[in-house]
Amino acid sequence: MSEGVIPLQAYLIVAALMFALGAWGVTIRRNAIVVFMCVELMINAVNLTLVAFSDYLPKAHGAGSGYAVVVIAIAAAEVAVGLAIVIAVFRTRRTVNIDEIDSMKG
Amino acid sequence: MNTAGSQLIIAAIVGLPFMSFLACVFLGRRLKENAQYVSILAVTISLVFSVFALLWVAGVLPASGGQISFSVPWIGLGENATFPMGVQIGHWTAVMLVIVCFVSLMVQLFSGGYMAGHPRFAWYYAVVSIFTGSMLGLVVSPNFIQAYFFWELVGGTSYLIHGFYFERPAATYAAQKAFIVNRVADAALFIGIMVFWRETGTTSFSGIAEAAKAGIIGQTALTIGLLLVLLGATGKSAQFPLHVWLSNAMQGPTPLSALIHAAAMIVTGVYVISRTYDIFVQSPTAMEVVAIVGAFTAFMAATMALVQKDIKQIIAYSTISQFGYVMLGLGVGAFTAGVFHIYTHALFKSLLFLLAANLGYAVAGSSDMRVMGGLKSRMPVTYWAFVIAGLALAGVFPFSGFWSKDAVIAAAYEGGHYVLFALALLTVGLTAFYIFRGIFICFHGEPRSEDARKASEVPVIMRVPVVILAFLSVVAGWVGIPKGFGLPVKDVFGDFVRPDRFVQSMTHANPGLFSFVLAGISVLFALVGLWLAYVFVLARPQWAEALGRRLPVVHDFLLNGWYFDLCYDRLFVRPAKALGRAVRDFDLREVGGLVSGFGRGAGWAGEKLRSLQTGGAQNYALFILFGAFAVAVLASAQYSFIAVIVLVAFGLAAAAVGSRL
Repeated sequence: MSEGVIPLQAYLIVAALMFALGAWGVTIRRNAIVVFMCVELMINAVNLTLVAFSDYLPKAHGAGSGYAVVVIAIAAAEVAVGLAIVIAVFRTRRTVNIDEIDSMKG
Repeated sequence: MNTAGSQLIIAAIVGLPFMSFLACVFLGRRLKENAQYVSILAVTISLVFSVFALLWVAGVLPASGGQISFSVPWIGLGENATFPMGVQIGHWTAVMLVIVCFVSLMVQLFSGGYMAGHPRFAWYYAVVSIFTGSMLGLVVSPNFIQAYFFWELVGGTSYLIHGFYFERPAATYAAQKAFIVNRVADAALFIGIMVFWRETGTTSFSGIAEAAKAGIIGQTALTIGLLLVLLGATGKSAQFPLHVWLSNAMQGPTPLSALIHAAAMIVTGVYVISRTYDIFVQSPTAMEVVAIVGAFTAFMAATMALVQKDIKQIIAYSTISQFGYVMLGLGVGAFTAGVFHIYTHALFKSLLFLLAANLGYAVAGSSDMRVMGGLKSRMPVTYWAFVIAGLALAGVFPFSGFWSKDAVIAAAYEGGHYVLFALALLTVGLTAFYIFRGIFICFHGEPRSEDARKASEVPVIMRVPVVILAFLSVVAGWVGIPKGFGLPVKDVFGDFVRPDRFVQSMTHANPGLFSFVLAGISVLFALVGLWLAYVFVLARPQWAEALGRRLPVVHDFLLNGWYFDLCYDRLFVRPAKALGRAVRDFDLREVGGLVSGFGRGAGWAGEKLRSLQTGGAQNYALFILFGAFAVAVLASAQYSFIAVIVLVAFGLAAAAVGSRL
């Protein structure tokens, strides 16, 4: 399937845009839940590139899809931990606005 | 001479004292005063084996003749750089082995009484053992590297000896001074060895001599190397100009001084010259310098001894002076006469120091002559032994010193070194004067202190070695009665310890040289010196005082050792201290300032950068992304179009975050 209808670049550009969007969201959104969603967006951008490459590179033998599955599993675990932290923070501070959480200030 | 058994015997001569050292160190606490038996047993066996070695090389025992020689590889660093450890025993070496072991044995026997009850008794014997072992190792060395190894061991161990009474500041000072002065000499010797090694590719004594004979090493390099070796020897043998450490080094236990002065440390310098004599004779310049240094040192040290107030100081200066004679003898080409003087000197000098130890034992540990006097009737054995040793030292017929000293003086005359001859002759008179001045002050007249009044003869264990050595001080010279003297006896020493044919052809010195006129003059000088001592100390003491009052400058000049210490202090010690202070200040101010400047700079930068730590997770994420972006741009410049897109995205993001901060 090396000669697909859609070229590889298209996938990569979409992935780059998704990644940039995610990164933009991570860096500027205030709500911790939304930040997490943006992280998921970045992770999925990476997954998209992995799957696209594994499809377009015959020597990869589809390994990229396997990696994508691993990444999804890790992302799920990370979100579980991350949400637990967010809930813990909300319980003590009554907010999930990450601008207000700056206890690591030097 | 290659059977394993005989090699083991030879190796044991050196090895046993080291084993005894280990035993005394590790079992010292349990052995306590029994340490002396361990140590004495070891050195006695060494002595017996040394006698075996002597008989082997003399051909009396079968399986040999000429030389004992074997070696094992020690360090191998490639071609021309293998350094073996080994043994090479010729005639003179064998005699030297016996001397060292014998003197060490006498000293150790004596010390059993002298050191009785001392809290560091076992340590004392450990020091004596390792010192003896180091000296023996040096004596048998066939090459410069091994010689240097044991040379340093002797020097290092002497530090333990001078500093034995480390409770006294003077003793630690003396130990340090001896150590530092000897470092100068050792460095010179080491450079000399390097010169030889570079020029000839070998460090073995015989190899260098052969190379010089074959002309492989140039005359200039040879002379430089030999002068450096000589400088090393002047340090160890306390010759001019490196003699300054010896008079301070009287702080150690007195019996150990006997060992140092008679058979070990101070002998190493002249011994190494005698050992490398077939190299020395090939450089006329080096020989000339040896002779001049020797004669001058003999005279200089004798004048310093004239006015000393401490009996040990007198004997110490006398050692410097006597080894000057040895150097003079070697320098003018009289090998046999020079080493003969080492041999006789070993006996009467060890005796003198043991007697000084007797005095200290009797008079509450002091060797200051101002607290003695009138000891003749109280300590008769010590007195008569002292007189014998004094006569031997002064070179009065027929005591041992006469034969060797006169051989040296005659050789100086015969070789046409008339100035050196005159110095040597003058020194004979000075020698007789200073030693009998000491004897008269200590033993005659009225006791000058309560301790002297109560003094009594020393215990038997200390008297035995003294009597043996006194006997030998009389007769030891008789083995070397020269043929010209007219007695129908063989010149045993001269026939046995004679330079090889090559050295003889280089020096033209006539062995067995003897002249009744020269000997008569020299004995006359000695007797005049003795008589002057009698006049100044006993008959007309007011003259000595008057002379001291008239010539205070001369008196102080001599008493302070020609102000050498002062000169060296001004020339070397103070500039070195000033340099040290300057370096310390530079370190504190410049280097220290620079370092703390860096510290302060880092602190300041940290203070400034602190505001970057906002505590906001998004800021950190932004920094991470920005860093990743920067790396990506650096890594792949050709994808700059992607970079531009990402840059714009981050620019927007940064602006958005920045507007809220």
